[in-house]
Amino acid sequence: MTFLFALTAAVVFGTGAYLVLDRDLVRVVLGLVLISQAAVLTLIASSLRRGLAPIYPLGGGEVSDPLSQAMALTAIVIGLAVTALLLALVVRVVHAFGSEELDELAEEAQRQARSETAADEARKVEEEAAR
Amino acid sequence: MTTLAIALVVPWGAGTVLVLLDGRRRVVGWVAVAVLAGNLAALGVLTALVLRNGPISVTTGNWPEGVGITLHADALGVVFALLSSFVVLTALVHEVIEGTRERVFPGLVVLLAAGLTGVFLTGDIFNFYVFFELAMTASYILATYGGTKRELGAALVFMAVNLLGTFIFLLAVAGVYHVTGSLEMQTIAARMDNVDANAAVLIAVGFFAAFGVKLGLFPFHFWLPTVYTGVRPAVAAILSGAVANIGAYGLLRFGGELLPRELEVAGVALVVIGGASILYGGVLAISRRSAGEMLAYSAIGQIGYVLVAIGIGGQVAFAAAILYTAVNALNKTLLFLSAQMRGAVVAGVFALGAFSVAGVPPAAGFVGKLELFRAAAGSPALIALFFVGSALSFVYAFQIYQHDFWRGPRPGTPSAASEQVVVAALALLVLAVGIWPEPLLALSHDAAEALTRGAP
Repeated sequence: MTFLFALTAAVVFGTGAYLVLDRDLVRVVLGLVLISQAAVLTLIASSLRRGLAPIYPLGGGEVSDPLSQAMALTAIVIGLAVTALLLALVVRVVHAFGSEELDELAEEAQRQARSETAADEARKVEEEAAR
Repeated sequence: MTTLAIALVVPWGAGTVLVLLDGRRRVVGWVAVAVLAGNLAALGVLTALVLRNGPISVTTGNWPEGVGITLHADALGVVFALLSSFVVLTALVHEVIEGTRERVFPGLVVLLAAGLTGVFLTGDIFNFYVFFELAMTASYILATYGGTKRELGAALVFMAVNLLGTFIFLLAVAGVYHVTGSLEMQTIAARMDNVDANAAVLIAVGFFAAFGVKLGLFPFHFWLPTVYTGVRPAVAAILSGAVANIGAYGLLRFGGELLPRELEVAGVALVVIGGASILYGGVLAISRRSAGEMLAYSAIGQIGYVLVAIGIGGQVAFAAAILYTAVNALNKTLLFLSAQMRGAVVAGVFALGAFSVAGVPPAAGFVGKLELFRAAAGSPALIALFFVGSALSFVYAFQIYQHDFWRGPRPGTPSAASEQVVVAALALLVLAVGIWPEPLLALSHDAAEALTRGAP
Protein backbone atom coordinates (compact mmCIF):
# COMPACT_ATOMS: atom_id res chain seq x y z
CA MET A 1 0.00 0.00 0.00
CA THR A 2 2.80 2.38 0.93
CA PHE A 3 4.49 1.53 -2.35
CA LEU A 4 1.33 2.34 -4.29
CA PHE A 5 1.06 5.72 -2.59
CA ALA A 6 4.73 6.44 -3.15
CA LEU A 7 4.38 5.57 -6.83
CA THR A 8 1.28 7.74 -7.27
CA ALA A 9 2.88 10.68 -5.46
CA ALA A 10 5.99 10.28 -7.62
CA VAL A 11 3.95 10.30 -10.84
CA VAL A 12 1.97 13.35 -9.72
CA PHE A 13 5.16 15.14 -8.68
CA GLY A 14 6.83 14.28 -11.96
CA THR A 15 3.91 15.54 -14.00
CA GLY A 16 3.95 18.73 -11.96
CA ALA A 17 7.68 19.17 -12.43
CA TYR A 18 7.25 18.75 -16.19
CA LEU A 19 4.57 21.44 -16.25
CA VAL A 20 6.62 23.84 -14.11
CA LEU A 21 9.32 23.76 -16.77
CA ASP A 22 6.85 24.92 -19.42
CA ARG A 23 6.96 28.42 -20.88
CA ASP A 24 3.27 29.09 -20.42
CA LEU A 25 2.57 30.74 -17.06
CA VAL A 26 -0.78 29.05 -16.47
CA ARG A 27 0.87 25.67 -16.98
CA VAL A 28 3.54 26.62 -14.45
CA VAL A 29 0.80 27.35 -11.93
CA LEU A 30 -0.90 24.04 -12.69
CA GLY A 31 2.42 22.28 -12.23
CA LEU A 32 2.83 23.84 -8.79
CA VAL A 33 -0.71 22.78 -7.89
CA LEU A 34 0.12 19.19 -8.87
CA ILE A 35 3.31 19.26 -6.83
CA SER A 36 1.38 20.53 -3.82
CA GLN A 37 -1.06 17.66 -4.29
CA ALA A 38 1.84 15.22 -4.36
CA ALA A 39 2.92 16.64 -1.00
CA VAL A 40 -0.61 16.26 0.39
CA LEU A 41 -0.77 12.68 -0.82
CA THR A 42 2.53 11.92 0.88
CA LEU A 43 1.25 13.49 4.11
CA ILE A 44 -1.80 11.22 4.07
CA ALA A 45 0.30 8.20 3.20
CA SER A 46 2.83 8.96 5.94
CA SER A 47 0.62 7.38 8.55
CA LEU A 48 -2.03 5.33 6.85
CA ARG A 49 -3.86 2.94 9.17
CA ARG A 50 -7.25 1.31 8.94
CA GLY A 51 -9.13 1.87 12.19
CA LEU A 52 -11.97 3.51 14.07
CA ALA A 53 -12.74 7.21 13.80
CA PRO A 54 -10.56 8.78 16.49
CA ILE A 55 -13.05 11.46 17.48
CA TYR A 56 -15.36 8.92 19.18
CA PRO A 57 -13.97 5.39 19.06
CA LEU A 58 -16.80 2.91 19.73
CA GLY A 59 -15.75 -0.50 20.89
CA GLY A 60 -12.20 -1.77 21.12
CA GLY A 61 -9.65 -2.10 18.38
CA GLU A 62 -7.20 0.25 16.79
CA VAL A 63 -7.91 3.91 16.04
CA SER A 64 -6.80 5.46 12.77
CA ASP A 65 -4.26 8.27 12.99
CA PRO A 66 -5.99 11.66 12.94
CA LEU A 67 -2.79 13.66 12.72
CA SER A 68 -1.88 12.91 9.13
CA GLN A 69 -5.42 13.82 8.05
CA ALA A 70 -5.26 17.07 10.00
CA MET A 71 -1.95 17.86 8.34
CA ALA A 72 -3.33 17.03 4.89
CA LEU A 73 -6.31 19.31 5.50
CA THR A 74 -4.10 22.16 6.62
CA ALA A 75 -1.84 21.67 3.63
CA ILE A 76 -4.83 21.66 1.26
CA VAL A 77 -6.16 24.92 2.71
CA ILE A 78 -2.78 26.61 2.53
CA GLY A 79 -2.29 25.25 -0.98
CA LEU A 80 -5.63 26.70 -2.04
CA ALA A 81 -4.79 30.15 -0.69
CA VAL A 82 -1.36 30.15 -2.29
CA THR A 83 -2.74 28.97 -5.65
CA ALA A 84 -5.30 31.78 -5.61
CA LEU A 85 -2.54 34.26 -4.87
CA LEU A 86 -0.33 32.85 -7.60
CA LEU A 87 -3.13 33.05 -10.17
CA ALA A 88 -3.85 36.64 -9.16
CA LEU A 89 -0.18 37.44 -9.65
CA VAL A 90 -0.20 35.79 -13.08
CA VAL A 91 -3.20 37.93 -14.07
CA ARG A 92 -1.32 41.08 -13.03
CA VAL A 93 1.79 39.97 -14.88
CA VAL A 94 -0.20 39.21 -18.03
CA HIS A 95 -1.83 42.65 -17.83
CA ALA A 96 1.50 44.39 -17.30
CA PHE A 97 3.53 42.53 -19.92
CA GLY A 98 0.75 41.70 -22.38
CA SER A 99 2.04 38.15 -22.60
CA GLU A 100 2.03 34.93 -20.63
CA GLU A 101 5.16 33.44 -22.15
CA LEU A 102 8.11 33.31 -19.76
CA ASP A 103 10.76 34.09 -22.42
CA GLU A 104 9.09 37.33 -23.35
CA LEU A 105 8.92 38.29 -19.68
CA ALA A 106 12.63 37.70 -19.29
CA GLU A 107 13.47 39.68 -22.42
CA GLU A 108 11.23 42.55 -21.41
CA ALA A 109 12.80 42.69 -17.93
CA GLN A 110 16.27 42.72 -19.41
CA ARG A 111 15.38 45.48 -21.85
CA GLN A 112 14.02 47.56 -19.03
CA ALA A 113 17.05 47.02 -16.81
CA ARG A 114 19.34 48.05 -19.66
CA SER A 115 17.37 51.20 -20.42
CA GLU A 116 17.33 52.12 -16.73
CA THR A 117 21.10 51.80 -16.40
CA ALA A 118 21.51 53.83 -19.57
CA ALA A 119 19.19 56.55 -18.25
CA ASP A 120 21.09 56.62 -14.98
CA GLU A 121 24.43 57.00 -16.74
CA ALA A 122 23.04 59.75 -18.98
CA ARG A 123 21.75 61.64 -15.97
CA LYS A 124 25.10 61.39 -14.27
CA VAL A 125 26.97 62.67 -17.32
CA GLU A 126 24.50 65.54 -17.61
CA GLU A 127 25.01 66.56 -14.00
CA GLU A 128 28.75 66.42 -14.35
CA ALA A 129 28.52 68.62 -17.42
CA ALA A 130 26.33 71.08 -15.51
CA ARG A 131 28.98 71.36 -12.81
CA MET B 1 5.11 32.05 29.04
CA THR B 2 3.01 35.20 28.66
CA THR B 3 5.90 36.97 26.92
CA LEU B 4 6.04 34.18 24.39
CA ALA B 5 2.32 34.53 23.71
CA ILE B 6 2.55 38.33 23.49
CA ALA B 7 5.48 38.22 21.07
CA LEU B 8 3.47 35.96 18.76
CA VAL B 9 -0.15 37.03 19.15
CA VAL B 10 0.24 40.81 19.15
CA PRO B 11 1.75 41.16 15.64
CA TRP B 12 -0.52 38.40 14.36
CA GLY B 13 -3.73 40.05 15.54
CA ALA B 14 -2.59 43.58 14.76
CA GLY B 15 -1.41 42.52 11.29
CA THR B 16 -4.80 41.07 10.43
CA VAL B 17 -6.44 44.40 11.30
CA LEU B 18 -3.74 46.52 9.67
CA VAL B 19 -4.01 44.85 6.24
CA LEU B 20 -7.61 46.03 6.10
CA LEU B 21 -6.66 49.67 6.71
CA ASP B 22 -5.21 52.06 4.17
CA GLY B 23 -1.47 51.77 4.72
CA ARG B 24 -0.72 54.84 2.63
CA ARG B 25 -1.88 56.97 5.53
CA ARG B 26 0.98 57.90 7.83
CA VAL B 27 -0.92 56.99 11.00
CA VAL B 28 -1.38 53.37 9.88
CA GLY B 29 2.31 53.12 9.03
CA TRP B 30 3.34 54.38 12.45
CA VAL B 31 0.87 52.07 14.21
CA ALA B 32 2.53 49.19 12.36
CA VAL B 33 5.92 50.47 13.54
CA ALA B 34 4.60 50.61 17.11
CA VAL B 35 3.33 47.02 16.87
CA LEU B 36 6.68 45.81 15.60
CA ALA B 37 8.48 47.74 18.33
CA GLY B 38 6.22 45.94 20.83
CA ASN B 39 7.10 42.63 19.21
CA LEU B 40 10.80 43.46 19.43
CA ALA B 41 10.49 44.50 23.08
CA ALA B 42 8.61 41.29 23.96
CA LEU B 43 11.29 39.25 22.20
CA GLY B 44 13.95 41.18 24.10
CA VAL B 45 12.33 40.31 27.42
CA LEU B 46 11.90 36.71 26.25
CA THR B 47 15.59 36.52 25.32
CA ALA B 48 16.58 37.75 28.77
CA LEU B 49 14.29 35.20 30.41
CA VAL B 50 15.52 32.32 28.25
CA LEU B 51 19.17 33.18 28.85
CA ARG B 52 18.63 33.40 32.59
CA ASN B 53 16.24 30.48 33.23
CA GLY B 54 16.71 28.17 30.25
CA PRO B 55 14.25 27.25 27.49
CA ILE B 56 10.56 28.04 27.83
CA SER B 57 7.94 25.63 26.51
CA VAL B 58 4.24 26.23 26.12
CA THR B 59 1.64 23.72 24.95
CA THR B 60 -1.07 25.65 23.18
CA GLY B 61 -4.78 25.40 23.96
CA ASN B 62 -4.31 23.71 27.38
CA TRP B 63 -3.92 20.33 25.71
CA PRO B 64 -1.96 17.70 27.60
CA GLU B 65 1.71 17.57 26.74
CA GLY B 66 2.41 15.45 23.68
CA VAL B 67 -1.00 16.12 22.15
CA GLY B 68 -1.13 19.90 21.72
CA ILE B 69 1.19 21.92 19.54
CA THR B 70 4.22 23.12 21.48
CA LEU B 71 5.90 26.48 21.29
CA HIS B 72 9.48 26.19 22.37
CA ALA B 73 11.74 29.17 22.94
CA ASP B 74 15.40 28.29 23.37
CA ALA B 75 18.50 30.45 22.94
CA LEU B 76 18.86 29.69 19.23
CA GLY B 77 15.24 30.52 18.46
CA VAL B 78 15.12 33.79 20.38
CA VAL B 79 18.37 35.04 18.86
CA PHE B 80 17.01 34.56 15.34
CA ALA B 81 13.60 35.96 16.27
CA LEU B 82 15.17 39.03 17.84
CA LEU B 83 17.44 39.62 14.84
CA SER B 84 14.69 39.21 12.25
CA SER B 85 12.26 41.37 14.15
CA PHE B 86 14.86 44.12 14.37
CA VAL B 87 15.61 43.99 10.63
CA VAL B 88 11.93 44.07 9.70
CA LEU B 89 11.32 47.00 12.05
CA THR B 90 14.22 49.00 10.58
CA ALA B 91 13.09 48.40 7.00
CA LEU B 92 9.51 49.37 7.86
CA VAL B 93 10.57 52.60 9.60
CA HIS B 94 12.67 53.45 6.54
CA GLU B 95 9.77 52.86 4.17
CA VAL B 96 7.18 54.66 6.30
CA ILE B 97 9.40 57.75 6.41
CA GLU B 98 9.81 57.63 2.66
CA GLY B 99 6.05 57.23 2.24
CA THR B 100 4.25 53.93 1.72
CA ARG B 101 2.92 53.47 -1.79
CA GLU B 102 0.50 50.60 -1.33
CA ARG B 103 -2.28 50.18 1.15
CA VAL B 104 -1.41 46.66 2.33
CA PHE B 105 2.31 47.23 2.88
CA PRO B 106 2.46 47.95 6.66
CA GLY B 107 -0.03 45.22 7.52
CA LEU B 108 1.83 42.63 5.48
CA VAL B 109 5.15 43.55 7.06
CA VAL B 110 3.60 43.05 10.51
CA LEU B 111 2.16 39.67 9.44
CA LEU B 112 5.55 38.72 8.07
CA ALA B 113 7.09 39.52 11.46
CA ALA B 114 4.43 37.37 13.14
CA GLY B 115 5.23 34.48 10.82
CA LEU B 116 8.97 34.82 11.43
CA THR B 117 8.50 34.96 15.20
CA GLY B 118 6.39 31.81 14.97
CA VAL B 119 8.91 29.97 12.81
CA PHE B 120 11.72 30.62 15.25
CA LEU B 121 9.73 29.87 18.39
CA THR B 122 7.82 26.75 17.44
CA GLY B 123 8.75 23.30 18.67
CA ASP B 124 6.71 21.38 16.13
CA ILE B 125 7.81 20.77 12.56
CA PHE B 126 4.39 20.95 10.93
CA ASN B 127 3.67 24.15 12.81
CA PHE B 128 7.03 25.33 11.50
CA TYR B 129 5.65 24.80 8.00
CA VAL B 130 2.48 26.77 8.78
CA PHE B 131 4.32 29.80 10.18
CA PHE B 132 6.85 29.53 7.42
CA GLU B 133 4.04 29.70 4.87
CA LEU B 134 2.53 32.69 6.71
CA ALA B 135 5.82 34.55 6.45
CA MET B 136 6.42 33.48 2.85
CA THR B 137 2.93 34.39 1.65
CA ALA B 138 3.36 37.85 3.11
CA SER B 139 6.73 38.18 1.40
CA TYR B 140 5.34 37.00 -1.96
CA ILE B 141 2.95 39.93 -1.91
CA LEU B 142 5.62 42.28 -0.58
CA ALA B 143 7.80 41.35 -3.57
CA THR B 144 5.20 42.90 -5.88
CA TYR B 145 5.42 46.14 -3.87
CA GLY B 146 5.79 49.00 -6.31
CA GLY B 147 3.75 47.24 -8.95
CA THR B 148 5.81 48.00 -12.07
CA LYS B 149 6.87 45.32 -14.55
CA ARG B 150 10.17 44.84 -12.77
CA GLU B 151 8.65 44.01 -9.40
CA LEU B 152 5.92 41.84 -10.89
CA GLY B 153 8.38 39.75 -12.88
CA ALA B 154 10.61 39.37 -9.82
CA ALA B 155 7.66 38.43 -7.63
CA LEU B 156 6.57 35.72 -10.04
CA VAL B 157 10.00 34.10 -10.08
CA PHE B 158 10.31 34.44 -6.30
CA MET B 159 6.93 32.88 -5.66
CA ALA B 160 7.24 29.97 -8.11
CA VAL B 161 10.70 28.92 -6.93
CA ASN B 162 10.00 29.32 -3.23
CA LEU B 163 6.71 27.42 -3.47
CA LEU B 164 8.64 24.55 -4.96
CA GLY B 165 11.04 24.71 -2.00
CA THR B 166 8.11 24.79 0.41
CA PHE B 167 6.53 21.67 -1.05
CA ILE B 168 9.84 19.83 -0.89
CA PHE B 169 9.95 20.81 2.77
CA LEU B 170 6.44 19.43 3.23
CA LEU B 171 7.47 16.13 1.62
CA ALA B 172 10.38 15.91 4.05
CA VAL B 173 8.00 16.60 6.96
CA ALA B 174 5.78 13.75 5.79
CA GLY B 175 8.87 11.56 5.66
CA VAL B 176 9.85 12.47 9.22
CA TYR B 177 6.36 11.72 10.49
CA HIS B 178 6.37 8.38 8.71
CA VAL B 179 9.64 7.20 10.21
CA THR B 180 9.39 8.69 13.72
CA GLY B 181 5.64 9.01 14.31
CA SER B 182 6.08 12.43 15.85
CA LEU B 183 6.14 16.07 14.85
CA GLU B 184 7.66 17.46 18.02
CA MET B 185 11.28 18.43 17.49
CA GLN B 186 12.61 17.05 20.77
CA THR B 187 10.90 13.68 20.31
CA ILE B 188 12.12 13.49 16.72
CA ALA B 189 15.68 14.24 17.78
CA ALA B 190 15.50 11.41 20.32
CA ARG B 191 13.97 8.89 17.89
CA MET B 192 16.03 9.75 14.83
CA ASP B 193 18.91 7.55 16.01
CA ASN B 194 16.87 4.39 15.49
CA VAL B 195 15.71 5.30 12.00
CA ASP B 196 16.93 3.45 8.93
CA ALA B 197 19.96 5.33 7.62
CA ASN B 198 18.76 5.49 4.00
CA ALA B 199 15.42 7.02 4.94
CA ALA B 200 17.15 9.54 7.19
CA VAL B 201 19.52 10.60 4.41
CA LEU B 202 16.60 11.07 2.02
CA ILE B 203 14.80 13.26 4.56
CA ALA B 204 17.95 15.24 5.25
CA VAL B 205 18.42 15.91 1.53
CA GLY B 206 14.81 17.11 1.31
CA PHE B 207 15.33 19.59 4.14
CA PHE B 208 18.64 20.72 2.69
CA ALA B 209 17.09 21.41 -0.73
CA ALA B 210 14.17 23.28 0.85
CA PHE B 211 16.38 25.54 2.97
CA GLY B 212 18.98 25.86 0.24
CA VAL B 213 16.32 27.35 -2.02
CA LYS B 214 15.30 29.82 0.71
CA LEU B 215 18.89 30.86 1.30
CA GLY B 216 19.88 31.05 -2.36
CA LEU B 217 22.86 28.73 -1.99
CA PHE B 218 24.98 28.06 -5.04
CA PRO B 219 23.07 25.34 -6.90
CA PHE B 220 19.72 26.88 -5.90
CA HIS B 221 20.71 30.50 -6.36
CA PHE B 222 19.26 31.10 -9.84
CA TRP B 223 16.20 33.04 -8.64
CA LEU B 224 17.98 35.32 -6.21
CA PRO B 225 19.62 38.03 -8.37
CA THR B 226 16.43 38.61 -10.37
CA VAL B 227 14.41 39.04 -7.22
CA TYR B 228 16.80 41.11 -5.10
CA THR B 229 17.45 43.56 -7.92
CA GLY B 230 13.79 43.66 -8.98
CA VAL B 231 12.08 44.48 -5.69
CA ARG B 232 12.14 47.81 -3.83
CA PRO B 233 15.09 48.45 -1.44
CA ALA B 234 13.03 48.08 1.76
CA VAL B 235 11.65 44.76 0.53
CA ALA B 236 15.10 43.57 -0.55
CA ALA B 237 16.36 44.44 2.94
CA ILE B 238 13.53 42.44 4.53
CA LEU B 239 14.06 39.46 2.21
CA SER B 240 17.82 39.27 2.63
CA GLY B 241 18.02 40.39 6.26
CA ALA B 242 15.01 38.62 7.78
CA VAL B 243 13.36 36.05 5.50
CA ALA B 244 16.67 34.46 4.46
CA ASN B 245 17.32 33.81 8.17
CA ILE B 246 14.70 31.06 7.98
CA GLY B 247 17.10 29.12 5.75
CA ALA B 248 20.07 29.49 8.08
CA TYR B 249 17.94 28.72 11.13
CA GLY B 250 16.40 25.72 9.38
CA LEU B 251 19.79 24.27 8.48
CA LEU B 252 20.99 24.73 12.05
CA ARG B 253 17.84 23.43 13.70
CA PHE B 254 17.09 20.53 11.37
CA GLY B 255 20.70 19.67 10.64
CA GLY B 256 22.32 20.36 13.99
CA GLU B 257 19.54 19.18 16.28
CA LEU B 258 17.27 16.76 14.43
CA LEU B 259 19.65 15.07 11.99
CA PRO B 260 23.15 15.44 13.51
CA ARG B 261 24.31 12.09 12.13
CA GLU B 262 23.39 13.02 8.56
CA LEU B 263 24.93 16.48 8.98
CA GLU B 264 28.20 14.87 9.97
CA VAL B 265 28.12 12.58 6.94
CA ALA B 266 27.33 15.52 4.64
CA GLY B 267 29.90 17.83 6.25
CA VAL B 268 32.39 17.76 3.40
CA ALA B 269 29.65 18.20 0.79
CA LEU B 270 28.31 21.25 2.64
CA VAL B 271 31.76 22.78 2.85
CA VAL B 272 32.25 22.24 -0.90
CA ILE B 273 28.85 23.75 -1.78
CA GLY B 274 29.49 26.64 0.60
CA GLY B 275 32.91 27.22 -0.97
CA ALA B 276 31.36 27.21 -4.43
CA SER B 277 28.79 29.78 -3.22
CA ILE B 278 31.54 32.02 -1.83
CA LEU B 279 33.59 31.98 -5.03
CA TYR B 280 30.64 32.17 -7.44
CA GLY B 281 28.97 35.02 -5.53
CA GLY B 282 32.25 36.91 -5.14
CA VAL B 283 33.36 36.65 -8.76
CA LEU B 284 29.97 37.57 -10.20
CA ALA B 285 29.54 40.45 -7.76
CA ILE B 286 32.80 41.92 -9.08
CA SER B 287 31.42 41.83 -12.62
CA ARG B 288 28.38 43.96 -11.65
CA ARG B 289 28.19 47.72 -11.98
CA SER B 290 25.12 48.66 -9.95
CA ALA B 291 24.84 48.51 -6.17
CA GLY B 292 21.66 46.39 -6.25
CA GLU B 293 23.10 43.68 -8.48
CA MET B 294 26.38 43.60 -6.58
CA LEU B 295 24.47 43.12 -3.31
CA ALA B 296 22.36 40.33 -4.78
CA TYR B 297 25.42 38.30 -5.81
CA SER B 298 27.18 39.23 -2.59
CA ALA B 299 24.23 37.70 -0.71
CA ILE B 300 24.91 34.36 -2.42
CA GLY B 301 28.58 34.57 -1.43
CA GLN B 302 27.98 35.61 2.18
CA ILE B 303 25.53 32.74 2.75
CA GLY B 304 28.32 30.41 1.62
CA TYR B 305 30.32 31.27 4.76
CA VAL B 306 27.40 30.25 6.95
CA LEU B 307 27.08 26.94 5.12
CA VAL B 308 30.81 26.21 5.40
CA ALA B 309 30.62 26.85 9.14
CA ILE B 310 27.63 24.51 9.48
CA GLY B 311 29.52 21.92 7.43
CA ILE B 312 32.51 22.07 9.79
CA GLY B 313 30.15 21.22 12.65
CA GLY B 314 30.66 21.34 16.40
CA GLN B 315 29.80 24.03 18.89
CA VAL B 316 32.46 26.56 17.88
CA ALA B 317 31.50 26.37 14.21
CA PHE B 318 27.75 26.59 14.95
CA ALA B 319 28.40 29.68 17.08
CA ALA B 320 30.36 31.16 14.16
CA ALA B 321 27.48 30.36 11.78
CA ILE B 322 24.95 32.05 14.06
CA LEU B 323 27.15 35.08 14.60
CA TYR B 324 27.88 35.40 10.90
CA THR B 325 24.19 35.14 10.02
CA ALA B 326 23.46 37.99 12.44
CA VAL B 327 26.28 40.18 11.16
CA ASN B 328 25.39 39.44 7.54
CA ALA B 329 21.73 40.29 8.13
CA LEU B 330 22.72 43.68 9.57
CA ASN B 331 25.16 44.35 6.72
CA LYS B 332 22.66 43.47 4.02
CA THR B 333 19.90 45.54 5.61
CA LEU B 334 22.20 48.51 5.86
CA LEU B 335 23.49 48.23 2.29
CA PHE B 336 20.16 47.49 0.61
CA LEU B 337 18.50 50.40 2.41
CA SER B 338 21.27 52.83 1.53
CA ALA B 339 21.83 51.49 -2.00
CA GLN B 340 19.41 53.89 -3.63
CA MET B 341 19.60 56.81 -1.23
CA ARG B 342 21.25 60.14 -1.75
CA GLY B 343 22.54 62.62 0.80
CA ALA B 344 25.35 63.72 3.06
CA VAL B 345 25.79 60.66 5.26
CA VAL B 346 24.94 58.01 2.67
CA ALA B 347 28.47 57.64 1.31
CA GLY B 348 29.87 57.16 4.81
CA VAL B 349 27.14 54.67 5.70
CA PHE B 350 27.72 52.70 2.51
CA ALA B 351 31.47 52.66 3.11
CA LEU B 352 30.95 51.31 6.61
CA GLY B 353 28.68 48.59 5.22
CA ALA B 354 31.31 47.78 2.59
CA PHE B 355 34.00 47.53 5.29
CA SER B 356 31.74 45.21 7.25
CA VAL B 357 31.08 42.94 4.25
CA ALA B 358 34.80 42.75 3.57
CA GLY B 359 35.56 42.12 7.25
CA VAL B 360 37.77 45.10 8.01
CA PRO B 361 38.32 45.63 11.77
CA PRO B 362 36.20 48.45 13.12
CA ALA B 363 33.01 47.06 11.56
CA ALA B 364 30.93 44.07 12.72
CA GLY B 365 31.96 41.93 9.77
CA PHE B 366 35.43 41.57 11.27
CA VAL B 367 34.07 39.77 14.32
CA GLY B 368 32.09 37.42 12.08
CA LYS B 369 35.14 36.59 9.98
CA LEU B 370 37.29 36.16 13.10
CA GLU B 371 34.89 33.56 14.49
CA LEU B 372 34.89 31.80 11.11
CA PHE B 373 38.68 31.65 11.11
CA ARG B 374 38.54 30.26 14.63
CA ALA B 375 36.10 27.56 13.52
CA ALA B 376 38.32 26.64 10.56
CA ALA B 377 41.54 26.79 12.55
CA GLY B 378 42.57 23.22 11.77
CA SER B 379 42.35 23.42 8.02
CA PRO B 380 44.65 25.56 5.85
CA ALA B 381 42.44 25.01 2.78
CA LEU B 382 39.43 26.56 4.52
CA ILE B 383 41.44 29.49 5.81
CA ALA B 384 42.67 30.10 2.27
CA LEU B 385 39.07 29.92 1.03
CA PHE B 386 37.88 32.48 3.60
CA PHE B 387 40.79 34.70 2.75
CA VAL B 388 40.09 34.59 -1.00
CA GLY B 389 36.38 35.19 -0.31
CA SER B 390 37.16 38.22 1.84
CA ALA B 391 39.50 39.60 -0.80
CA LEU B 392 36.78 39.22 -3.43
CA SER B 393 34.23 40.97 -1.23
CA PHE B 394 36.68 43.78 -0.57
CA VAL B 395 37.08 44.31 -4.32
CA TYR B 396 33.39 44.22 -5.22
CA ALA B 397 32.22 46.36 -2.32
CA PHE B 398 34.73 49.13 -2.93
CA GLN B 399 34.44 48.99 -6.67
CA ILE B 400 30.78 49.97 -6.33
CA TYR B 401 31.64 52.50 -3.65
CA GLN B 402 34.13 54.15 -5.95
CA HIS B 403 31.74 54.01 -8.91
CA ASP B 404 28.85 55.50 -6.95
CA PHE B 405 30.47 58.07 -4.70
CA TRP B 406 33.89 59.10 -5.98
CA ARG B 407 32.60 60.26 -9.33
CA GLY B 408 30.55 62.96 -7.63
CA PRO B 409 27.29 62.56 -5.74
CA ARG B 410 24.58 60.23 -7.01
CA PRO B 411 22.11 61.89 -9.36
CA GLY B 412 18.75 63.02 -8.00
CA THR B 413 17.50 64.88 -4.96
CA PRO B 414 18.80 63.97 -1.48
CA SER B 415 16.72 61.62 0.67
CA ALA B 416 14.81 62.93 3.68
CA ALA B 417 16.93 63.77 6.72
CA SER B 418 15.04 61.37 8.99
CA GLU B 419 15.62 58.56 6.51
CA GLN B 420 19.32 59.29 6.63
CA VAL B 421 19.15 59.20 10.43
CA VAL B 422 17.70 55.65 10.24
CA VAL B 423 20.53 54.29 8.10
CA ALA B 424 23.11 56.23 10.12
CA ALA B 425 21.77 54.66 13.32
CA LEU B 426 21.97 51.23 11.71
CA ALA B 427 25.53 51.95 10.60
CA LEU B 428 26.43 52.99 14.15
CA LEU B 429 25.00 49.70 15.38
CA VAL B 430 27.17 47.76 12.91
CA LEU B 431 30.14 49.76 14.18
CA ALA B 432 29.17 49.23 17.82
CA VAL B 433 28.92 45.46 17.33
CA GLY B 434 32.38 45.54 15.82
CA ILE B 435 33.88 47.56 18.65
CA TRP B 436 32.08 45.82 21.50
CA PRO B 437 31.21 42.35 20.20
CA GLU B 438 30.97 40.72 23.64
CA PRO B 439 27.13 40.58 23.95
CA LEU B 440 26.63 39.16 20.46
CA LEU B 441 29.45 36.65 20.93
CA ALA B 442 27.95 35.47 24.22
CA LEU B 443 24.52 35.22 22.62
CA SER B 444 25.74 33.15 19.69
CA HIS B 445 27.68 30.82 21.98
CA ASP B 446 24.61 30.32 24.18
CA ALA B 447 22.56 29.61 21.07
CA ALA B 448 25.08 27.09 19.76
CA GLU B 449 25.20 25.47 23.17
CA ALA B 450 21.42 25.09 23.17
CA LEU B 451 21.73 23.39 19.79
CA THR B 452 24.42 20.90 20.70
CA ARG B 453 23.27 20.12 24.23
CA GLY B 454 21.57 16.91 23.20
CA ALA B 455 24.48 15.71 21.08
CA PRO B 456 27.46 13.98 22.66
